[in-house]
Amino acid sequence: MISFWTVVERALSGPICTERDFELSIFVPNLRKTVEKYGIKYDPQNPVPSDDDLADRVWQAGIEFLIETGVYCVDTERRILFSREEIEGALASGPRGRVFGEGRDARVMPRRFPEDTTLPWCSVGPTSSPLSSELHYLNLVKAHAENPLGDGITIPCLTTVDGHPIVGGSPLGIEGAIRAVLLTREGMRRAGRPGMPIVNGVTTAARAQEHIAASHFGIRQTDALEIGTIHEMKVDFDTMNKVAYSLAAGNLIFAENGVILGGLAGGPAGVAVVTAAYNPVDLLLLRGAIQHPFPTHFDLGVTSARDTLWPRSVANQAITRNSSLPVVNVGYSAAGPMTKMLFYEHCAWVIASVVSGGSVEVGASARGTALDYTSPVEPLLASEVAHAVVGMSRREANGIVRALLEKYESQLREPPIGQKYQECCDPVTGKPKPEFIELYREVRREMSDQFGIRLTSASPYI
Amino acid sequence: MSDKPIFEQLNSAIIAGDKIGLEKLVGDALKEGITPSDIIEEGMSPSMKEVGERFARYEIYLPEMMMAAEAWEGAMQILEPKLLESGGERKKAGRVVIGLLKMSGFEVFDLGVDVAASAFVTKAEEVGADIIAASALMSTTIPQQKSIIEHLEARGARSKYCVLVGGGSTSQEWADSIGADGYGRTAGDAATLALKAVAQK
Repeated sequence: MISFWTVVERALSGPICTERDFELSIFVPNLRKTVEKYGIKYDPQNPVPSDDDLADRVWQAGIEFLIETGVYCVDTERRILFSREEIEGALASGPRGRVFGEGRDARVMPRRFPEDTTLPWCSVGPTSSPLSSELHYLNLVKAHAENPLGDGITIPCLTTVDGHPIVGGSPLGIEGAIRAVLLTREGMRRAGRPGMPIVNGVTTAARAQEHIAASHFGIRQTDALEIGTIHEMKVDFDTMNKVAYSLAAGNLIFAENGVILGGLAGGPAGVAVVTAAYNPVDLLLLRGAIQHPFPTHFDLGVTSARDTLWPRSVANQAITRNSSLPVVNVGYSAAGPMTKMLFYEHCAWVIASVVSGGSVEVGASARGTALDYTSPVEPLLASEVAHAVVGMSRREANGIVRALLEKYESQLREPPIGQKYQECCDPVTGKPKPEFIELYREVRREMSDQFGIRLTSASPYI
Repeated sequence: MSDKPIFEQLNSAIIAGDKIGLEKLVGDALKEGITPSDIIEEGMSPSMKEVGERFARYEIYLPEMMMAAEAWEGAMQILEPKLLESGGERKKAGRVVIGLLKMSGFEVFDLGVDVAASAFVTKAEEVGADIIAASALMSTTIPQQKSIIEHLEARGARSKYCVLVGGGSTSQEWADSIGADGYGRTAGDAATLALKAVAQK
């Protein structure tokens, strides 16, 4: 694989073009051309398709699109181009079988295939959700770390430091990022899982210097720093600085690609192709140990909509059939905690991801943006479902996901907000309210009785 | 020239995002003696409205919006001087510092990402903006929206601008708490708010 420094050199010397020309004269026409050439069409009736040929066409389209388009560096206004040989070289030498975490909490991140019987990786946690207090932060991390199916922690965002709102790029940004890592480590220690890996270090950090500072206060080489491109197929020096640091420090990298449905990639077909195209970018540019895709709806702000589930499923199948870089999908659901809808949304995107070859990061509710609207209960059920559907056929999963969509998709625009963490759980003990546990049990029975999903008995709430 | 009526051709060119075709059609229409005002009202505005409606129904997406907006802007560069010569007024007049608002006929100055609060104010003063719109995704970047308002107040310029905020971590409560003039959850909300703000000026 070509070196990271060769890629940096291309950011400094590649073909010059304006951002407007990259978007409208290169990206959009190239994408339209490849979508048409490979006959990729969105099928809303089948959010989880079972078509291997479609998956492979999406993959081929993605590679061709990447070769013709490249990645745009906004700081130099140049395109970083890759040849087919370089992409194939990266795919041939990509990471596999990486170990995350330490001691008895160490786990192997598996490569999975569509309909695979291998258990998926489950990252658990509040997934970047903003929190108002350090006590909530600690208790939530502890509760998630106590999930027996959780392999890694995905950490939330602190919004204040000693009452001061955290401003990215300021000294408060540095302190906030450091404190987030320290609190997460302490929460995992309290749960008896001190070696559990942090997989999205460091969500409170907005800039490279904050990532780097926080890394010196508890981020380990067996944790992952989360680094993402800019929408779509763009990168800046701040992002590349994070990669340069992580390579030197020996950190694993979670390469994040949240392609926007309705953005430059257009509709579901374009989103699937661009998500597939990101796979080699994640190897060559972000030097990822995992690809972390989450196609997100431009208007609804969620990943649980029908037209985001289809590209997620198809892109997962395209990638996992053709690349050894493991895929870990994350989901952003619309509803808030202690609502049936949140359970349904989580289950829908988790099932679509797992049967399509992915692993999962379960956790974000209320679009991941509403202060304190997060809980450990729905992610617990989602992780149980993730384990229960291994080996399920895509056809069967498609039927279940369609039935789940029927239950919630009409409410995606105006979802029930539910209750804040401190309302649905005891803020001191962290224990969910009895009626919340009863709701969990009710949905759990529904999954079993209505859909035949046999859940494990690992739950602390049964 | 096509047999289709000229207004139909103009509207089709907008929907197709055909900037060059639209500019040629505008030239043809002017040669036929059609007034700039009629070209805009009959030949361009209906299709702009339709593009917006299709976007709202998820039938088209950002690329189609951007290309239609570019076609509109190209045509307006031809039509505006003639409109002013004939004593007309600028259509949907307004200048917005940042945002995805071109579709509504605004002139947009996109300052990019990671922009200092004071830079919004400086640019707004420089171009005589009507609206300052700022989007922030993360909980650690939204304090900059408050800072924009504080910079405006410090320069005694707060009343000159309508300040709109949006983005992932923002909410109506946040907008109210910092004294913003409007909050939009989506790009569509931003355009609606901006049009309302200009109408009220």
